[in-house]
Amino acid sequence: MSLNTGQSLTVSGQDLTKNGSSSSRASWEDARTVLKPSTPTRKPKPPKPENAITIAVSARVLFTMEKEQQIYEQQGMEDYIKYQVEHETEPFSPGPAFSFVKALEAVNAQLRELYPESEELFDVVLMTNNHANVGLRLINTINHHQLFIERFCMTGGNSPIGYLKAYHANLYLSADPIKVREALEEGIAAATMFTPEKMTEVSETQLRVAFDGDAVLFSDESERIYKAHGLDKFFEHEKAHENKPLDHGPLKCFLEALGKLQKKFYAKGQRMDCPIRTYLVTARSAASSGTRALKTLRSWGLEIDEALFLAGAPKGPMLEKIRPHIFFDDQMFHVEGAAEMGTVACHVPYGIAQRVTKRGIWDKETSSAPK
Amino acid sequence: MVSTVQNTDVKQKDSDHAVVVAVASRAVFEPGAGGGDGVYAEGVAFPLLQALQKVNERLLEENSAESLLFDIVLITTDSQQQQQSSQLISSTKHYGLEVSRFCFSTEEDFSESLLKNNVQLFLSTDRNEVSQTSQKGVLSALLDEYTASCPSEQLRVLLCGDAVIRPDTNPTPASRQAAQSFSARLGKMRQRFGMSDSPLSITLMTSCGGRDSCGGALQTLRSLGISADEAYCLAGAPQGPILSVLRPHFLLSDGFSGLED
Repeated sequence: MSLNTGQSLTVSGQDLTKNGSSSSRASWEDARTVLKPSTPTRKPKPPKPENAITIAVSARVLFTMEKEQQIYEQQGMEDYIKYQVEHETEPFSPGPAFSFVKALEAVNAQLRELYPESEELFDVVLMTNNHANVGLRLINTINHHQLFIERFCMTGGNSPIGYLKAYHANLYLSADPIKVREALEEGIAAATMFTPEKMTEVSETQLRVAFDGDAVLFSDESERIYKAHGLDKFFEHEKAHENKPLDHGPLKCFLEALGKLQKKFYAKGQRMDCPIRTYLVTARSAASSGTRALKTLRSWGLEIDEALFLAGAPKGPMLEKIRPHIFFDDQMFHVEGAAEMGTVACHVPYGIAQRVTKRGIWDKETSSAPK
Repeated sequence: MVSTVQNTDVKQKDSDHAVVVAVASRAVFEPGAGGGDGVYAEGVAFPLLQALQKVNERLLEENSAESLLFDIVLITTDSQQQQQSSQLISSTKHYGLEVSRFCFSTEEDFSESLLKNNVQLFLSTDRNEVSQTSQKGVLSALLDEYTASCPSEQLRVLLCGDAVIRPDTNPTPASRQAAQSFSARLGKMRQRFGMSDSPLSITLMTSCGGRDSCGGALQTLRSLGISADEAYCLAGAPQGPILSVLRPHFLLSDGFSGLED
């Protein structure tokens, strides 16, 4: 491979000319990168866990392992492992978390361009209960799809919780509701991810994250009022306490982490087309109970890009318009509704909603005390 | 000068097939501390010994004629402990430890006595001791205070895929060979049990490299006949927090990396 005078070459999305580069790295470093024919783009080093926003994903949400899961459930562990090893060179196809992870990487690429020395980046860790025997197939799959995942824990059946803490995980996504619950109990933001029936196309350059309000960003205190005393009492209560911030919910810190990265883009003049966009999709209504939600966010110093107050209308259609890479809700009714319409929806098993039957939150007939 | 005393309470292992593990007596029993009745108090390696025994127990359950067992030897250079050799032996019997024999050696003859006894793994809490024996070609691993908090029902061994746990020692071809052959035998033992509920768990960890270095290490292990239960790729993340969750009884570095440095 030779460098011709006056020609410019593109490396990692940056234009590089023979006399120097547009980044702040030494130009000889760039030249060395260009001269290595087998690695046209240099692999960036993963950030230190304490600096990064760590997203831990399980194998079954990152990839589709339906067939293998069936073998495990019907034929047991030994046959499952045998199958995995036999098909080691066959990569898995993408799972529901795949586009989310790709979007995280797109944000990282843009952050690295603006702040080449910073370690404030997303770091995706594969956190799986799988046996190390499945390791090679997972590594081959990561290579095949060119994902930037360099860290993983294959716990061979042991609980992932200790490792989530060791990595300071900011978010944990899994298909297993039991592990998700355990994580939430340990104070780690977590959600059970479901595969939608069809997947609507999502942006490859802008990460979009949508949150429900009560019992996700906020605590479930107001939901308790609604469940115990009904809709009218709920409105009354929220109006009366408009200026009292709600307590925080399990995903508040994750929104905060996203906000921190957003500010870095704003500082470089990228507010209007920021590569991260956040949404609040709540059954609260703008006219009344919505105010308390917004004021709470403001009191926390957090911004949300779009707040959608549905006043009880179903969330599915709205989410289909927004096309988030991921949507968090504490009620399975909404999670299922979203998934039906092609949104990757995750259940946050937190709060009072877990102890009552799944119904529409504004169903007046069910305004009875929680079971 | 080396003297060896057999433990008459314990059935001697088949020397052709057993895996000889020598443990420094100072790690097994608290030096100096006298429990009542002339019995030593438990040291940091106690859970480790119990875990080794558990593996033997389960191996024999699977096959009562099994000869691939751990052969545990207690070794000491501590002249004080040697003077109280009877206390060492009686303490061992008191706790019902499956120690086959006791080796009393001087410091000069120490490594030699390990080699003479066909020791495949030497464990000690003394860093200098471990460094010396390692240089003489005996596979050695350092035990520390964390070892004491490891489980006693399952032996957990950590194989390091890209090393530098002990940056001061350079892996020699001989030490690599020793690590590989010991681990291969461990791998064989592991095969005697099913996927779950195994009394022996083998974990692979790579600290610095990315996923491909871990993948390479997994393939190296496979070529040695070792099937790891767990695998962790740290890619530069700090080891401490991960190790404290993993809780291996001991670590073996050198010999498992799949990539050339």
